[in-house]
Amino acid sequence: MWARQNLFGSWLNTLLTALSVGLVYLVARGSLPWLLSEAKWAVIGRNFGVIGWGRYPNDQAWRLGIGLALLLILGVFSWWAWRLPGQSPARRFVSVGWLVSPVILFLLLRGLTLPTPVTISNNLGYYLFRPEVLPLLEEDWRAIASLLIVGLLAGITWGLSPRRANRILAIVACLAILGLCLPLGLQAQQLGDQGLRVPRLVIMIPILGLGLLFGRSAGGSLVTLRAARCALLVAWPGTAAIVMVILTSFDVGVERVAPAEVLLKVEPPLWGGILLTLVLSTVSILFSFPIGVLLALGRRSRLPVVKAVSVLFIEIVRGVPLITILFMAQVMLPLFLPLEWTFDRVIRAMAGMTFFTAAYLAEIVRGGLQIVPHEQVEAARSLGLSELFVTGLVVLPQALRAVIPAIMGQFVSVFKDTSLVAIVGLLDLLGILQSIIKQREFLGTVREVYLFAGLFYFIISYGMSHASRRLEASLGVSDRF
Amino acid sequence: MTEPIIVCRDVHKWYGHFEALRGVSMEVERGEVIVIFGPSGSGKSTFIRTINRLEEHQQGQIIVDGIELTYDVRNIAAVRSEIGMVFQQFNLFPHLSVLQNITLAPIWVRKWPKEKAEEVAFQLLRRVGIPEQARKYPGQLSGGQQQRVAIARALAMQPKIMLFDEPTSALDPEMIKEVLDVMIELATSGMTMLVITHEMGFARAVARRMFFFDEGLVVESGTPDEIFSTPKEERTKLFLSQILVH
Repeated sequence: MWARQNLFGSWLNTLLTALSVGLVYLVARGSLPWLLSEAKWAVIGRNFGVIGWGRYPNDQAWRLGIGLALLLILGVFSWWAWRLPGQSPARRFVSVGWLVSPVILFLLLRGLTLPTPVTISNNLGYYLFRPEVLPLLEEDWRAIASLLIVGLLAGITWGLSPRRANRILAIVACLAILGLCLPLGLQAQQLGDQGLRVPRLVIMIPILGLGLLFGRSAGGSLVTLRAARCALLVAWPGTAAIVMVILTSFDVGVERVAPAEVLLKVEPPLWGGILLTLVLSTVSILFSFPIGVLLALGRRSRLPVVKAVSVLFIEIVRGVPLITILFMAQVMLPLFLPLEWTFDRVIRAMAGMTFFTAAYLAEIVRGGLQIVPHEQVEAARSLGLSELFVTGLVVLPQALRAVIPAIMGQFVSVFKDTSLVAIVGLLDLLGILQSIIKQREFLGTVREVYLFAGLFYFIISYGMSHASRRLEASLGVSDRF
Repeated sequence: MTEPIIVCRDVHKWYGHFEALRGVSMEVERGEVIVIFGPSGSGKSTFIRTINRLEEHQQGQIIVDGIELTYDVRNIAAVRSEIGMVFQQFNLFPHLSVLQNITLAPIWVRKWPKEKAEEVAFQLLRRVGIPEQARKYPGQLSGGQQQRVAIARALAMQPKIMLFDEPTSALDPEMIKEVLDVMIELATSGMTMLVITHEMGFARAVARRMFFFDEGLVVESGTPDEIFSTPKEERTKLFLSQILVH
C-alpha cells in the first residue's frame, strides 16, 4: 500500500523510482564486491591507537577512557534530567556539570600539578624567610609598608561602602596580609642595646590597625563621591600587585620546590587523531560562541571605538580564507606577542579556528538581533530594566533562538574545517590517516582510509544537526512565535 | 494641596525638521485619570512616551514624582521602574511564559526573591481575570488576554503612574470590554493613569480631565462634561462629531 502510494503514484513517480533503482544498482555493483571482500579494513584496526589519540602516550590512554566515560555519564544524566517536569534541581546540576566539564576534561587530558603543603610552605618561605633578607633590619619596611597599605585601603573600603561583600573583602584582605607577614612577625627583634627582644608582630599589628583607622575616617569623608566607589574596583587589584612587588621584589635567589605532579603532563602537541579533531572543534565552538555574541553586540554598539573594532575584526577575518588564518596563527602570531609568551602549535591552531568561527557567528547573531522588533526593547525599557538586562534578558534570547539552525550549521562546518589543520602540519584525524597511507606496510589502502574518515565526519556532523533539531523543538522555536 | 506627580512645562520635540510636540504643558495630580485623545499624528503618543523617556524631549521640562528627566541615565531607569506602560500591540516577550513576563522586572530590577514575585504575579493575574493562563506563552493567548497580561506585567512593578497608549485599538471588538473593565477597576482603585483612547464611554466613566491634542499642541482640556457638552474649540467639535457619529 505504502509502496503504491509513494513509489508508483503517477507515471512520473514510477519513472523516477525505476531510475533510482537503476542508479543504486550501478553504485552497488561497483562498490559492494570491493567493500565486502577486497577492502583491507585491517589498516584501521591495526592503527586503532594512533587514529584515536595520535602520539598521546599509550600507557596514559586510560585517561581518555575516563574522560569519555564522564561525558557519557553526564550525557545520560542530562537526558534523564531533561525529561523531568518543571525546574528540578537535577537540571541545575546538569547545567553546572556541563559548565565545569571542559575544565575537568582539559586537566584530565593535559595532566595537572597541584601544590602540596611542602611546596606551599617552601614557596612562602622563599618569599618571606630569604636568608639574605631577614637579618637586615631595614628590610622590615617591606612587611610594614604592605601592612600599612592594605590596612589603609581596607579602612577606606569599610568606610565607603555599607555593602557586606565589600566589608568581607576588607576583612579577608587584612587577614591575608597578616598571614603573609606572620612568619616574619614571629621573628624576634632586638630593641636597643639592652637586648630587649620582642616579636615583630607586636609592632606590625598596631601598624595595620593604624592604617585601618586612618583609612576608615578617610573613606567616611569620601562617601558621597560615586567615582571613589568605582575607583575601589581598580584600587584592590592594583594594591595586591604593589604588595606582591614590595614583599618579594620579584628577585629570585633561592631554589624553589616544584609542585607535585598528580597526573603526568601530556602537552597538547602530543595530542592527535580523533582526540585532536574533537578537542579542536569543541574548543573552537565553546570559545567562539561568546566571542561571536560579543562581537555582534559590539557591532551594534553606540560607542564608536567598540563598533569600529568589532567591524574591523569581523570584516578582516571574514575576508581571509581559513587556511590563511591557520598559517598566520602558526607563523605570525609569535611575532605580535612578547617573546616569553610561547604557545604550542595546537593552541595556536585553536586560536585561529576560534577567531575565524567567532567572526562568522557574529554575523549570524547580528542577523538574529535585527529581527527582534524595537517594540520589545521599548517594552523592556518601560519596565525599568537597565540596558544590560534589556539586551541579556529580552533581545539576545529571542535573537539566538531565531538563529539556532544557522549557528548549528556553523558549528558543523567548524567541525569539518578542523581537518584543514592537517595542512599546517598537525596530526588530527586526517593528518594521521595521511601519514598512515604513506607507510610502506599500508600502501594501497587509500580508499579504506578515506572512506573511514568520511564515515567518521558524517556520523558526527549528522549527530550535531540532529541535536540542533531537538534543541529547536525543546525550546519551542516554531510554535511560540 | 500635595504637589502634582507629573509636571510638564512647554515640552518640545522635533524629528529632524518636523516638530511633533510644540510646547505641551500639563500637570497631573496623584490619583487622577487623564484621557488624551486626538487625530493620529497629533503627537499624543509621542507625548506620553516622553513621560517615561522612551522619547527624549529637546526643550522644556518634565518632572515625574520630583525627578526631572534629563540625560542622566541612572535617573531614567529609576523613573521608568515607577511608571508602568501598556502598548497598543501588547509587546509581551514571546520567549517567556505569562508568569515569566510578569516576574521578569520584579526579579531583576526590584531584586525580589522568585517566590515573592510569583505570588504577586498570581495575585495580579487573578485581578485581571486570567490566573489559569500563567504557564502559557503569549502566542497561545487571545489579544484581549495578552493585553490583560501586559497590564499585569506593568502593575507587577507596583508603579505610581500607568501610561496606556491606545490599549484597545489593536483588539477585536468583542475583546475591548474585558480590557476596559480591568482599566476601570484600576482607575477606581486610585491609580494615576494617562490613557490615550477613543473609547469615550471609558472617558465618561472614569476620566477626571480630558486633553484634546492636535498638531503637537493641547487644543482644549477640561472635565468630560465640559468636553462632551460644551466644547469651546471648533477643532474639538469637529473631531468629536467624527468619532461619535455612529
